[in-house]
Amino acid sequence: MVQEQGAARQGSRIFTEDWLAVVVGLTLVALGLAGLLKNIP
Amino acid sequence: MMSDRVLSSDRTVSAPRREASAPWLWWSASFLLVIGLTVATWWLNKTVPTWNKQLRVIEFPVYAVALGLLANGVLSLLGIRDRLAAYFRTEFFLKTGLVLLGATINLTEIVAFGAKGLVQAVILITSVFLFTWFVARWLGVEEKLRALLSASVAICGVSAAITAAGAVLAKKEQLAYVTGLVILFALPLMFLQPAVAIWLNLPPEVAGAWIGGNIDTTAAVVGAGSIHSQQALKVASIAKLSQNALIGVVAFLLALYWVVVVERRPGQRPSAWEIWERFPKFILGFILASIVVSLGLANGWVVKAAVRDLQRLREWFFMAAFLSIGYGLSFHGLRDAGWRPIAVYALATGFNTLVALAVASVIFR
Repeated sequence: MVQEQGAARQGSRIFTEDWLAVVVGLTLVALGLAGLLKNIP
Repeated sequence: MMSDRVLSSDRTVSAPRREASAPWLWWSASFLLVIGLTVATWWLNKTVPTWNKQLRVIEFPVYAVALGLLANGVLSLLGIRDRLAAYFRTEFFLKTGLVLLGATINLTEIVAFGAKGLVQAVILITSVFLFTWFVARWLGVEEKLRALLSASVAICGVSAAITAAGAVLAKKEQLAYVTGLVILFALPLMFLQPAVAIWLNLPPEVAGAWIGGNIDTTAAVVGAGSIHSQQALKVASIAKLSQNALIGVVAFLLALYWVVVVERRPGQRPSAWEIWERFPKFILGFILASIVVSLGLANGWVVKAAVRDLQRLREWFFMAAFLSIGYGLSFHGLRDAGWRPIAVYALATGFNTLVALAVASVIFR
């Protein structure tokens, strides 16, 4: 069970990060298109 | 749903953490470390080529992985690597970078290369999965480990291994072991494959499709594509995302096989919802970003300079992703599992390399 929980923790984190990446990525796209990310080196 | 026990239960997995004392201090330090190392990667990428023209061939993934490995080694020696690991989030950085990559690829390219990529993905997933499965059985590798190995080589490395672990209820050690193998093979391929593609004089589209169809982990696909060319990066990413998109279908079939054939539980079936549950959602972000920017450029309400800004931002996320790969590299379980799974992985990767080259040459030329 402990072993399965370890896999569960890793698995659920990855799938949560999926949605987080969508939200953060699209927000950054919106900011970029609005011209708010101009000074990135 | 049969795999809830492994992949979908947040409530059952709150294991006690060793670094319970002042965790915010370690989290802050981890955050600063990621930022500091990413800036160092950017600086090296900008500065080193000015020292010597020949050093221009070295692209940012090389510096990022090297710095990540260096930090990994030094902090491991000091015994604080795990405590500083909180913000080294390979998956998050990579997927956010891929959503930003979507914004720099025209929708027509995604449709054109995506259709070819899906055909390639179906051929490669089927042939590589079955090849790995039967070679592993021939060599006597345990069933669950066999499923993890087959999924990771055939689909998309670590994410596929995690998904397969959910479908067959694999052990944490098996997952850690396969994850180690994926990185062990992907890192050299990330540098070798673009070099071989240039040596073979492959067109960027074929090189990209070959890279996307062969290298297992999406991060290394992005790295290899970046090292080859911008066009190869685009095609490699789309080819890899086409494989990623099929992960839910494979997980469903694997779970079905496990319940019906291996464990023989009459009446129990994984639901079709599992396909959606396992679908990598960041692909939706990638496509949505491409739709918005493509429509904006076509209608004149998006300027090209804004797309260039997003391209630069994307590189920062990819730098952080590669740093995290180097930082997280661990071969803990590799010593105990013996030579057989390594032999299976090596044979499967060799097979995948040849079949992917043949398929990419036919479909993408």
